[in-house]
Formats: sequence, C-alpha cells, structure tokens
Amino acid sequence: MESEDSDFIWLRLDGQKRLATENYVEGNTVYGEKLYKKSKIEYRIWDPFRSKLAAALYIGLDVFPITHGTKVLYLGASTGTTVSHISDIVGYNGIVFAVEHASRVARDFLDRVANFRKNVVPILQDARHPKQYFSVYGKVDVVYSDIAQPDQTEIAITNCQAYLKDGGYLFLVIKTRSIDVTQSPKNVIQSEMKKLQNNFEIIQDMTLEPYDKDHGLVVAKYHAKG
Amino acid sequence: MYFVIVTELGIVVSQNNTVSKSFAFDNPASEFVEAKKGNLKNNSVINYLRELNAGFFISDDALLKALKKESLDVQIMDEKQMDEIQANKPQVLVDAGFAKNIGDAMSKLRDFALSLSASRVTEVSQSPDLHIIQAINALDEMDVMINGLSSRLREWYGLHFPELDNIIDSINGYAQIVMAGNRSSLSDKVYQDAGFPDSKVQMLSVIQQKSKGGDISQENLAIVQSIARQILDMAKARNAIESHIESQMNVIAPNVAAILGTAVGARILAKAGSIKKLATLPASTIQVLGAEKALFRALKTGTQPPKHGILFQHPIVHAAPRWQRGKMARAIASKAAIAARVDVYGAGLNQTLLDKLNVRVTEIGEKYKEPTERPPQPQREGHHDFGRRDDRRDRRPRDRDSRGFGRSDDRPRDSFRNRNRDDRPRDSFRNRNRDDRPRDSFRDRDDRSRQGFRDDKPHQSFRDRDSRRDGFRSRGESDGPRREFRGDSGKRKKFGKRRF
Ligand SMILES: C[S@@+](CC[C@H](N)C(=O)[O-])C[C@H]1O[C@@H](n2cnc3c(N)ncnc32)[C@H](O)[C@@H]1O
Repeated sequence: MESEDSDFIWLRLDGQKRLATENYVEGNTVYGEKLYKKSKIEYRIWDPFRSKLAAALYIGLDVFPITHGTKVLYLGASTGTTVSHISDIVGYNGIVFAVEHASRVARDFLDRVANFRKNVVPILQDARHPKQYFSVYGKVDVVYSDIAQPDQTEIAITNCQAYLKDGGYLFLVIKTRSIDVTQSPKNVIQSEMKKLQNNFEIIQDMTLEPYDKDHGLVVAKYHAKG
Repeated sequence: MYFVIVTELGIVVSQNNTVSKSFAFDNPASEFVEAKKGNLKNNSVINYLRELNAGFFISDDALLKALKKESLDVQIMDEKQMDEIQANKPQVLVDAGFAKNIGDAMSKLRDFALSLSASRVTEVSQSPDLHIIQAINALDEMDVMINGLSSRLREWYGLHFPELDNIIDSINGYAQIVMAGNRSSLSDKVYQDAGFPDSKVQMLSVIQQKSKGGDISQENLAIVQSIARQILDMAKARNAIESHIESQMNVIAPNVAAILGTAVGARILAKAGSIKKLATLPASTIQVLGAEKALFRALKTGTQPPKHGILFQHPIVHAAPRWQRGKMARAIASKAAIAARVDVYGAGLNQTLLDKLNVRVTEIGEKYKEPTERPPQPQREGHHDFGRRDDRRDRRPRDRDSRGFGRSDDRPRDSFRNRNRDDRPRDSFRNRNRDDRPRDSFRDRDDRSRQGFRDDKPHQSFRDRDSRRDGFRSRGESDGPRREFRGDSGKRKKFGKRRF
C-alpha cells in the first residue's frame, strides 16, 4: 500500500497507514514526531492530530500544489509543526516565508525550525500588514493561512493580493469558533467562503473531523484582478 | 528624478534603473528598523542627496518625513514602483553591491530575517511586564503548593498531636511548632517564639498534656519536619515575590495598580499578555477577563453573560452586594482600560482616575441600595461540542509554563471540568495528574485548597486566607497571621540550624 509521491509518502507502520515527509535536516525532529528510515532515506511521520494540513491529506485533497521548489507564504507559523513538513516538501529550491507575530511561540519556532532549515524565512510580524514584511521578495505559489483571528479571511485575502501569483492557491484554515461562537462550524465556513467570491475560485472545502473538531479548510484558486 | 530605496541590507539611490550610490548597513537588523522609523545612523545619505540637488522618490513613509525636515525635494514612490522593487529585490541587492549574486542575496535576506526575528524575541523577553506575569503566576502556584503541603502536614503531625490543628490556624505558626519536634519537646518558649500570645501559649501547654495523639518515630518526624521546613521556606519566598510584584507594578503600571491594586492588576495583566495588549482591550473585555468560559457559554446558549472575571477579586466588587457587583466591575474596568493606556505611554500616576472611580463607586452604592430581581435566564439550544479542544491546543505553548499544579485562572469551573473530562487530550499534563492520583486523597486535597481558590471566588492573599480561617473558627490568634508571615529574622535563624 506504500504509494509514493514525490511530495510526501504513505507508509504502513504497525498496521496503520501513516503520512510522512522526507526529512530536510537529517536526524532533526521538531515536535517529537517519529523518524523512519526506508531505503536510506529518512522520513518524519506527519501527525494529522497535530497538523491540519496532514489532517486534510488524510481526509483527501483534490489538489496539492505544494511540491519541490514551491514558494509558500505561511501565515500563523506558531511553533512550526506544519511549516517544518512544508519545508521538507519544497526542499532545496523552494522557500517558505513564515509569518508569526507572537514572540513566545516565535522563540520556539526559531530554535526548532527556522534556524535549521535554509528554505524557511521567519518573519516576526503582524499578518495584518503584509506590506511591512521584511525579507519577502517576488510572488509565491501558495498562501497558507492559519491564524485563528476573527478577521482571518480578510487578512488572508490582503496577503494574497500582495504576494500570491495569478493562478496560485490559497489554503485557508478557518477556525470555526473564533469568528462567531453562536454559529455552527458549517455555517461559518460557508459565510467565510462568500468573502472569497470576488477573487477566488473555490476548489474544495471540508471540516477536519475527526482529527480536529473546530476547524475547516478551504482551498481556492486565485485570479488576480482589479 | 532619483529613487531612494530602503532595503534590508542598506539604502540605495538610483536613477534610470542604474544605481548611483549605495549605503550598506553595518548592522542590518537594527539599522533597517531605525531607517524605517526615519532615523539614519549617520548623515552620509543626507549629504549625498543634498549634493545631488534633485527631486527624489522615497520608498518609505517615515524616511520621507525625515528627509522633508532636511528640506529636500521629496515625494513618495508610487505603488507600482514599489511592487516592482519588491518583486526584484534580490536583483536590486545585487545591483547595489550588497550581494554577490541572486543566491547570495536570498541567503542574506534569510540571515537578516533570522537576526531581526531573534532580536525581536529578545527584546520582548526583556520587557518588565512579562516578568511581572511570571511572578504573579508563580505566586498563585506557590499558594496552591503551600496550602496543599500544609494540609498534609496537619494530617500527618495530627496523628501525633491532633488537637493542634484546631488551635493553630496560621500555616506558618503550625509549621514552626512542628519544627520544634515531637510533643514532649514542645515548650512555652517554642510557642512564644512562634509568635503566639500568652493566652494561647497557656492553652497549648494544657492541651499538650492531655493529647490523645499517638507516638511518632524519629524517622517519621524527620520527614514531617522536612515538609514543615519546605513550607516555611516557600512562604518566605512567596512573600518576597508578592512584594516584588507590588513594587514592580507601581513602577511599570502605576495607574493600573492604583485602580486595580497590585495583585489583581498583575493578574489582569497576565490574562491580557502584556501591558500593550491590555491597553488595546476595550473595557467590556477587561470586565470579563478570566471568565472566558462563562462568556462563550453565554454567547452559545443565550444565558446571562458573566459580570466579572478576575475583577471579582477586586475588593470593591467583592465587598459590594450581589446586585451591585456587575456595575462596580464595569466602572472599575472602564477606568482600568484608561489606566492601561496612560501606563503604556509612561505618563506617570494620574490621581484623577482613582478619584473619578471613587465618585462612581459611591454613586452606584447610593443609587442601587435595594436588591434587584434577577431576570429569568432564557434557555436556548447551543452547539455543545465545538470550540473546546482547539482552545487548549492554541494555548499549548504558553500553557506549558503555567500548567501543572497551579491554579490557572482559565481553569474551567468544576462542573465544567467534569463535563469535559472526556474530550481532553489524553496526554495533557493535567489529565495525567488527575488519573495517576489516588482518588480520595486527591479530592481531599482539592477540597481543602479549593476553599480559597475557586475561580469565581476572590483570590485571597495568603494572609487574608489565614485570617478568614481565624474568623470562622473563631479562635484566632490575636496578633494575626500578618506578623507571622513577615517573620522575624531571629526566629528564622534559630530554625536555620535545623537545615540540612
Ligand atoms: C492555530 S495557530 C497555527 C498553527 C500552525 N499553523 C500549525 O499547524 O502548526 C495560529 C497562530 O497564528 C498566530 N497569529 C494570530 N494572529 C496573527 C497575526 N495577525 N499575524 C501573525 N500571526 C498571527 C498566532 O500567534 C498563532 O501562533
């Protein structure tokens, strides 16, 4: 069953199907994940309970535009769990601009992820002001946003307008509770999707059950226009 | 026309897409931030621009303003130009001579990002409000530990001298007596040294003769005494922390301290995360800080929103009759919001804030003398299962510090906690503790310590709590626990000999 992909790999471990990425920094672990060696290549097991992108892959994504050499703008890097796997995938020719504004988590992020991974550029700033980012250049292929703010969708859109190339993809993690606690998660996702109408083509939307009860994911394709 | 561009690695002056001159930063991380504020390290850039004596497009607002002051002919670059520079930044850096090639430019930009991010982290860790937050959390955690250990001490030494528990209410006093040894080595002098008044000393020696307690072996006594010593040491440390918080709050947030008091102020600060963040919060949020669970529940189910969170610990709110508490909390919160803003700007203590609050407090007291009816609570169907696990997940990194044995303010109420027990992550520290503990002893301890530590109860300082016990046991030591906690060095020295 070990289907292989260039981007990530499904392994069978202890009778269970597991997702993994090729370790960009050999021997290094980020959040206590297991390492696994197969034909001399070291992989890091990617936990769907810890990373929403992994959860989405378990559930099934229609498109996965992140591969070798992809440029990604990642909003809400936190301690870098998901960023580290994306860094694994995009490899030497790719780059991950990782934005995080909370200095407490950024400390861990720098120590565990950014300092070791040459394809990760940490940006300790507020995602609300994308024009202020330092060290970012050019356009990116993918914007991944997971910032758990009430105006998370608007923030993601401004970032796309500033940095996402035409035809690029937005992965928008929607924290269903922080927007409006009185709404059901499905309704929240629906109303956030409406905000994307103008500039995006929705490719897919999902809730992340059973891995994560409070989040949904929307994947959309960007069509830059005035 | 010339273009003046601020890049991460230096300032570039160019014309017709060719670089006229570039000024590399010696220390990019700090000089870039300064340049973005309009401060240039030296005058060489300005002198050069003066020499050129032309019109300039500037890439940055703050720098524009600074150059205008030098009466240079400047205007802001248009968006398109800026976007173009952004898109070709590595090339711009190469052209300016800041990097050898595109690859080198990219890696220099990353180095820049690493060092700027690192210096921001360092800068934040140095800010004194973060230290106050650690201190107040430490204080609360130590209180829980001291109370827990003290209960154990009473139980254990109580096998030997059960009568003591009911007579000695102060934690320090009890521990000091235990330090003197077994029942037969207790003398009037011990009691006096522990700070008890003569009346109590007499009572103690009478009761000591008639005690129904059993013997205690030297081995057991040694352990019990080591616990007592821990309690004394911890109590001393916690008092040092408390006065540290007091003085720090008065320096860093004098207005917040004046309105809320140092301890409550520090707890509010801890909830907000920093004094800056506190200053951005609206009064309505400050009013319910620490009651997030109740607030979300109210939003979901349409029940009454909470009237106060941490502010319930404020003496004014706490002392007010039930029906006035919400109004008091609101009045305090609105002044606290202003106070935080004044403190961020470091404007010093502003007495009128407190005066106005006092006026309002008196007003509320007079206007709402009579109890009001409680409106019926509407029941609405809510979504019961979303939103919880993640809440914790998001907090995980921060939580790690405050989690453990301590009371953390966002701990759900008991009933809530029980209801949610199953959907907690299995590996959480709290859970593990709960499961590993023998059921009844845990409950015992919890009940005891909970007396003073329920979320919805005011936080009583260590001293208050003691005097409260005195109160309802109606056998208080007349000199009160205050003196005991302050301790006196003579006593401490004496016990110091017993240290391991
Ligand atoms: C849910 S966590 C992200 C988890 C991460 N994506 C992962 O899977 O490992 C959200 C993060 O977004 C950050 N964040 C929230 N608002 C932000 C903002 N305006 N700018 C930058 N980061 C923000 C928070 O500090 C937090 O670390």
